[in-house]
Amino acid sequence: MNIIFMNVILIAMILALLIPIVEVCKDNNVWQKMLALSSISSKTTMMIFIVSVLRDDWMIGVVAVIILSVGNAGFMLMAHIMKRMRNA
Amino acid sequence: MTDSYIYIISVLLPLAACMVLFQVNPYHALVIRGILGAIAAMIYAIWGAADVALTEALVGTMLAITLYAIAVRSSMVMRVGVLTEELQEIDENILKDDRVHNLFGQLITDLRKVFQNYYMRIELIFYQDIKELDQALIDREIHTTCVRSSSLEPDNLDETETQPYQTKTRVKRLYNIMKNELSSSKTMLTYFSETKPEEKH
Amino acid sequence: MEQYQYIVDILSYVCIGIGIFFWFWGTSHLTKNRSVLFKLHSLSVADTLGSMAIVFGLLLKIPSEWPLLILAIISLAIWNTMLGYVLAYCSSTRGDHD
Repeated sequence: MNIIFMNVILIAMILALLIPIVEVCKDNNVWQKMLALSSISSKTTMMIFIVSVLRDDWMIGVVAVIILSVGNAGFMLMAHIMKRMRNA
Repeated sequence: MTDSYIYIISVLLPLAACMVLFQVNPYHALVIRGILGAIAAMIYAIWGAADVALTEALVGTMLAITLYAIAVRSSMVMRVGVLTEELQEIDENILKDDRVHNLFGQLITDLRKVFQNYYMRIELIFYQDIKELDQALIDREIHTTCVRSSSLEPDNLDETETQPYQTKTRVKRLYNIMKNELSSSKTMLTYFSETKPEEKH
Repeated sequence: MEQYQYIVDILSYVCIGIGIFFWFWGTSHLTKNRSVLFKLHSLSVADTLGSMAIVFGLLLKIPSEWPLLILAIISLAIWNTMLGYVLAYCSSTRGDHD
């Protein structure tokens, strides 16, 4: 019962993940793509979290937390680099 | 089939990789590389390789993006050497708001427009006189020179009426692009073939 | 004790369901033809709140991993908000200053 519920949740999350992936192909503006990227990264991290809880695996959960904070920091850096590159 | 989601998720990785491959704009490819990194980290974590996922997240989002950005910024550029007197003229024309007679500004705008289709930037580098400019072209400091025809040969006035500028480039590809797409009649294009065959890159 | 466990389970599923609903609602704005800032607003609100709801649901479900999940909630609240601000700043000021 529990496993089936978790599988349904994960498949719903995959569907939610597909929306920004499709959107990134269609849009032509760099900032729209950055939005989709930030959305995708937080969604993937949440999926890792769900899997770690599903398997009761502490190690994967730690990785998810590190990806969550470091990945976001990386995107902030990337947004600034993009801004500099477009302006120059 | 309790793990059916693993197979669905695994399909996302080649999908994202194909998106990076078929993206022509380098800036957009940079963003999609970030998406590929996020999805790859998720798949590695779900398959149980926590250490690989951590490495992918750190390297993929921070290091690769930074290095890629530096590479794109420093390589997708055409350096144009011009004389310092053009700089003064630009300043004067901006002060007078004289857009019609600012031929040089128009020429650079046209160049920017042409090379925007190739995702390249134009960088202006200023030199004191013609000799320094030519030497810089030979020394591969710049890709292209753009000078007033009148400052090259002051006697020949007929030519300068129609094409007041002379653009010389040492890169065959840039010459082809400019020849095909630069529609402005303000400049004369020449291809400068390098005479140092021993210097091969 | 048994019936309490039952209630907590249902509560956690409700939380996760609300979170996923938030995700779909926020991401659906991405497909519309609106300005970047509008999309950024709905996306950051929906992603942050939805993810926090999901993590809270997981916290109810498995309380033994509480330090990790609390850390996730805190870093979501701080970093996602900050990323939203940075993206808004970078996408709106096109060479006006700096």
